[in-house]
Amino acid sequence: MRGGPPVGVTFRGVPGFVVAAARLFAVQSAWSYERMLGIGFGHAIEPLLRPLRGHGGARYAEALARQSRFFNAHPFVTSIAVGAAARAELDGEAPERIERLRAALCGPLGVLGDRLIWAGWLPACVGFGLILVAAGAGAWGVAAFFALFNVVHVGLLVWGLRAGWRAGMRVAGALANPFLQRGLEVVGPLAALAVGAALPAVIVWVVRGAGMGVAWSVAWTPLVAAVAGAGVFAAAAHRIGTRLTALSAAILVLGVVVVGGELWP
Amino acid sequence: MTGGEILGVTAVGVLAGVDLVSVPQAMTARPLVAALVGGWLMGHPAVGLLVGVLLELFALETLPVGAARYPDWGPPAVATGALVAERAGTTVTAGIWPVLLVAVLVAALAASIGTWSMHLVRHANGAAIRRYTDQLERGDPKALIALQAGGFVRDSGRSAALTLLTLLPGGVLVQVLSESWRAPAVVAEGIVLSVALGAGALSAWRLFGRGATARWLLAGLVAGCAGVLLWA
Repeated sequence: MRGGPPVGVTFRGVPGFVVAAARLFAVQSAWSYERMLGIGFGHAIEPLLRPLRGHGGARYAEALARQSRFFNAHPFVTSIAVGAAARAELDGEAPERIERLRAALCGPLGVLGDRLIWAGWLPACVGFGLILVAAGAGAWGVAAFFALFNVVHVGLLVWGLRAGWRAGMRVAGALANPFLQRGLEVVGPLAALAVGAALPAVIVWVVRGAGMGVAWSVAWTPLVAAVAGAGVFAAAAHRIGTRLTALSAAILVLGVVVVGGELWP
Repeated sequence: MTGGEILGVTAVGVLAGVDLVSVPQAMTARPLVAALVGGWLMGHPAVGLLVGVLLELFALETLPVGAARYPDWGPPAVATGALVAERAGTTVTAGIWPVLLVAVLVAALAASIGTWSMHLVRHANGAAIRRYTDQLERGDPKALIALQAGGFVRDSGRSAALTLLTLLPGGVLVQVLSESWRAPAVVAEGIVLSVALGAGALSAWRLFGRGATARWLLAGLVAGCAGVLLWA
């Protein structure tokens, strides 16, 4: 400890909390291969370090330089590390301990966010949104997708900042939060269920006129052809392996078909 | 498309483009949202929604994980939603399918270009950071603000370029190729649906087809099929 926390700095009293939370939404603006989220991390934590600006500002400058170095984690849960690192700086922890804390958080926060958000909540919300669209909700289905996703996005970001700030160097405890752990267990199956249900629902929605009351050329024949074609497409792409993404396979097939359609006798 | 419409679509394309990584990652970059807004800008949100649903099936595999390279669907989806809505006019008929086929191809190509454009922006960010190394080591907050702002401006420029690329040369391609399409519209319809559903199924399989989530994916498929049969 180097001098203890500045007087009056409590969670409620942190003047830069709202600004730091707002800046966390832009934590990847200066993303680079060298420092990854480091610059955004430094930018987000800066308002929380302002109580260190007294006495010539040396502690503030040292802390800011340290917090702008390499950092990599999932952007939504980086708030946990920002809160914890800010608290550690204000508590006057030794610089090497703070650097170890930042380094130690990269892996767990990356895995947590990737599993919880990218491989879980995002596809779950997409699936749910598609189901609503297919059920006739139209643009409201899209609005529901947007709202659902962002309730968790904003909630996780603000909770993480608070939890990190409260825990400081003992932030590992925040990652064991039962709500978070339960979320990790539930979100994968939920996403799989939603995406699985969305696929047949949207394809039938499109075939039946996409909510525009249009009767396409032949209602059910293209559906059967589409399901068979989709099976062939997915199986072929799967057999080739992950080197071929769904996008590259689609470009290849659609490109050939467009040329074929132009040369049609 | 008028100059004002191009400007409006490009502005929304920039918002969708920066959303993917820079700020705020609220998922306006997802085709479901971006294409709907593109169609709405041209007065036909229902067509935008159709484009968004189709492109979303391709984008299911896009998970913006850290340093990985992934396609940027946001700006192409806004532009494609607007292009198809413009071509559809007020009455949507089966003739829209060749337009959709070419538009989906154009969006997919632009999304691939988006992958590389993001890579360039990341390198440019790295070069800017190296120029500010001394200030950063001195703990100068102005350097952080300059770098964050610079990164945002670069990403905005990238997104605008990607939107305009989809809208202008892409728009010409959509017009020329869909007008000279000679096969029946049902062929275009079958192919677009096959490839979109195939891409969605492949992505779902890659995401959830192994381990504990596989049975939930299967349960979802069964529930979806049952729901469709009951609904019909």
